[in-house]
Amino acid sequence: MNDQDRIFDDAAKLAKEIRPERDLWPGIEAEISGRTQRKTYPMFAQAAAVVLLVAASSGITYFAVKGDGAATVAVQPNYVFDEAAFGESYSLGPGFTDARSGLASKLDAQLAKLPPEERATIEENLALVRGAIDEINAELSEDPDNAQLQSMLLKAYREELMLMRQIGNLTQNVTSRNDI
Amino acid sequence: MKTRGLIFIATLLATPALAEDIDQRMDADPEGEVQISNIAGSVDVRGWSRNQVEVTGTLGDDVEELIFERDGDEILIKVKSPKRMFGRSDITSDLTIRVPEMSSLDIGTVSADIDVRGVQGELELQSVSGDISGEVFGEDAEFGTVSGEISARGNGDMIDSEFSSVSGDISVTEVSGELAAESVSGSIQITNGTFESLDLETVNGRIVVRGNLHDSGDVGAESVNGSINIDIQNAVGAHYDIESFNGRISSCFEAKPERTSKYAPGSRLEYTAGSGRARVSVETLNGSIKVCEKD
Repeated sequence: MNDQDRIFDDAAKLAKEIRPERDLWPGIEAEISGRTQRKTYPMFAQAAAVVLLVAASSGITYFAVKGDGAATVAVQPNYVFDEAAFGESYSLGPGFTDARSGLASKLDAQLAKLPPEERATIEENLALVRGAIDEINAELSEDPDNAQLQSMLLKAYREELMLMRQIGNLTQNVTSRNDI
Repeated sequence: MKTRGLIFIATLLATPALAEDIDQRMDADPEGEVQISNIAGSVDVRGWSRNQVEVTGTLGDDVEELIFERDGDEILIKVKSPKRMFGRSDITSDLTIRVPEMSSLDIGTVSADIDVRGVQGELELQSVSGDISGEVFGEDAEFGTVSGEISARGNGDMIDSEFSSVSGDISVTEVSGELAAESVSGSIQITNGTFESLDLETVNGRIVVRGNLHDSGDVGAESVNGSINIDIQNAVGAHYDIESFNGRISSCFEAKPERTSKYAPGSRLEYTAGSGRARVSVETLNGSIKVCEKD
């Protein structure tokens, strides 16, 4: 079993559903009346999520950048991402963010060698992946203990890193062998 | 006379070079590797029974040279173009290459289409925007592109194969064994193989599978927004675990999908047909899912 499998196994072991411990109406009423009220979740679910996120952050980062110096690349400020949100209350760690920024920086250097239309296609598709991440994150904010959403979000973050790495490697291989 | 000579030289300098026809061949290892690089145009490779590699076709006007050389059991074929060629339209080179049928191929292009027929060694085919099509059998195959389309046809041999695109569609038929395919927005269509494992992923692209599953085979298909249709053509007896957050689940089984939460959308279908040794796992966020196994 590799790191990635272990992460998804951990995600699968989390509670499928947490029954709200209180009447939901006061919260709904507060939303309607414009008052904000922070949701509370059982301590166990929060602790499990934190453990999962630490493992996930490390696992995804390792999986995406292994054999690749991306995580140690000096990154220009314009390639630094905000922390990767995980639902409303958590985010993936700085290791993940550094790896993501490093891969983005390397990818951009490769894309500069391609015709504008190819760059546009790649950027559109990266935007699709990031849109999917936002979409899952929004659902997870509504249902933070949903194990399926947690698992899908981890996979989507992994997909983003893998996509950046895959495109960067393909472009580097093709352009260097053609002396571009 | 001197003036006429100068005019003649000036005319020569002003006239663009004509596309160059090529026709070259050299002896080759019958099971060697052939590496091919071309930026634009096309690369058609055909396997033949001779222990020779032959290159025919045309080179674009501004191509510097065709590199065609052998180093041991490796042969390099490379269309060498000047730096900073984007925006120029005269580096398009169309190559037809014949190689020993047991050769391995390693091909990389930017926009040139790649087509491979009758080559039985390992295939590693990459293009940024060119389409990739090929027959795959005997050895492992890996096709990768950003925006090009991928089309692969096998002969039922069990092989390891990987197909990846960013926006291009992927179509694979009669390829068996362990197969992985992924795309962001392109569709994936897999037909008429027998699979030990299938690993399919898209973000927005549709996934369609119609084929046979090995007794202990394993199918995993995931999409965020794309629909997934899995149609197992043999009565293999698989355990099905199907889950979608917002998408509709349908099947030809008696079991019906159940809600996974009282407080959120989401449904899941678990069903075991026959022995349940094989496994089929399908998951989407919004895409609809349809699964079936032959009785």
